[in-house]
Amino acid sequence: MSGYAQYKNRVKISERYGAREWVVERVALLLLMPLGVWAAFSAFTLTGADYDTATAWFASPFNAVLLGVTAVVFLGYISLAWKVIIEDYIHRPGNKALLIGLSNLIFLVLAATSIFFITRLALGSAPLPAGFGA
Amino acid sequence: MSTASDADDDQTGRFVRQPNGRIRPLSPHLQIWRWHITMLASILFRMTIGAASVGAILVIGWLGALAFGPEAHAGVMAFMGSPLGLLIGFGLTLVMFSFILNGGRHLVQDTGAALEIAPANLLSHLSVWGPVVLTVLFWVVLFAAGKVSL
Repeated sequence: MSGYAQYKNRVKISERYGAREWVVERVALLLLMPLGVWAAFSAFTLTGADYDTATAWFASPFNAVLLGVTAVVFLGYISLAWKVIIEDYIHRPGNKALLIGLSNLIFLVLAATSIFFITRLALGSAPLPAGFGA
Repeated sequence: MSTASDADDDQTGRFVRQPNGRIRPLSPHLQIWRWHITMLASILFRMTIGAASVGAILVIGWLGALAFGPEAHAGVMAFMGSPLGLLIGFGLTLVMFSFILNGGRHLVQDTGAALEIAPANLLSHLSVWGPVVLTVLFWVVLFAAGKVSL
């Protein structure tokens, strides 16, 4: 890395993205505390629910939006957590970058899939694969 | 400080010759350590991350079943109502409570608080055993409310 090391209160300032990532992890985990409690209550409500009860739950914008936010924050946090785990155990740069890229891709796809399903359920769309050639 | 003379006639295997030629005491490895509750809580949080990743895929599968309509949903519910399905559900709730409590411990300790032995042990005990208690309670209430049955 180029440039002079910078200090704040005699502590070296992170030269790359480490400090920002650390803060993002903590903020995401902090958000997940209330979201997790809400998810636990929702899990209790929805356990054993039949199709009509479950779709009625998604018809409430409050539930749908909060579940979408939970899914994105949770999967984002988990992807950062996997990045830390991979960085701890894989030291060969090529393998490390490949595995982190793969894990990020998986969680990105999972987040997109969740939002896709939640949006359809919130809008009360016809059951899939309606609208996809069927 | 150990010197070469300590180790020359050592029969215990407590010393090793490092690649640079120096004699150093052998570092204790994993099996030497007594298990601390703080260590267990830390390892369990990492395992929770792994289990929660699998759990996320299962929950997304349930979302997909709902989005694919009543037949797909009925199929998933029939499986989740079976003994194996209920066991998976129990595991999912255990992971959920573990994530909340152990994540809470992580957040508190990230601020630099509760790192002394007594509060660290207390928080670790809460995040290791708390999820077990909460999960059992959760399922007792689920059965009592008639939401699930065997």
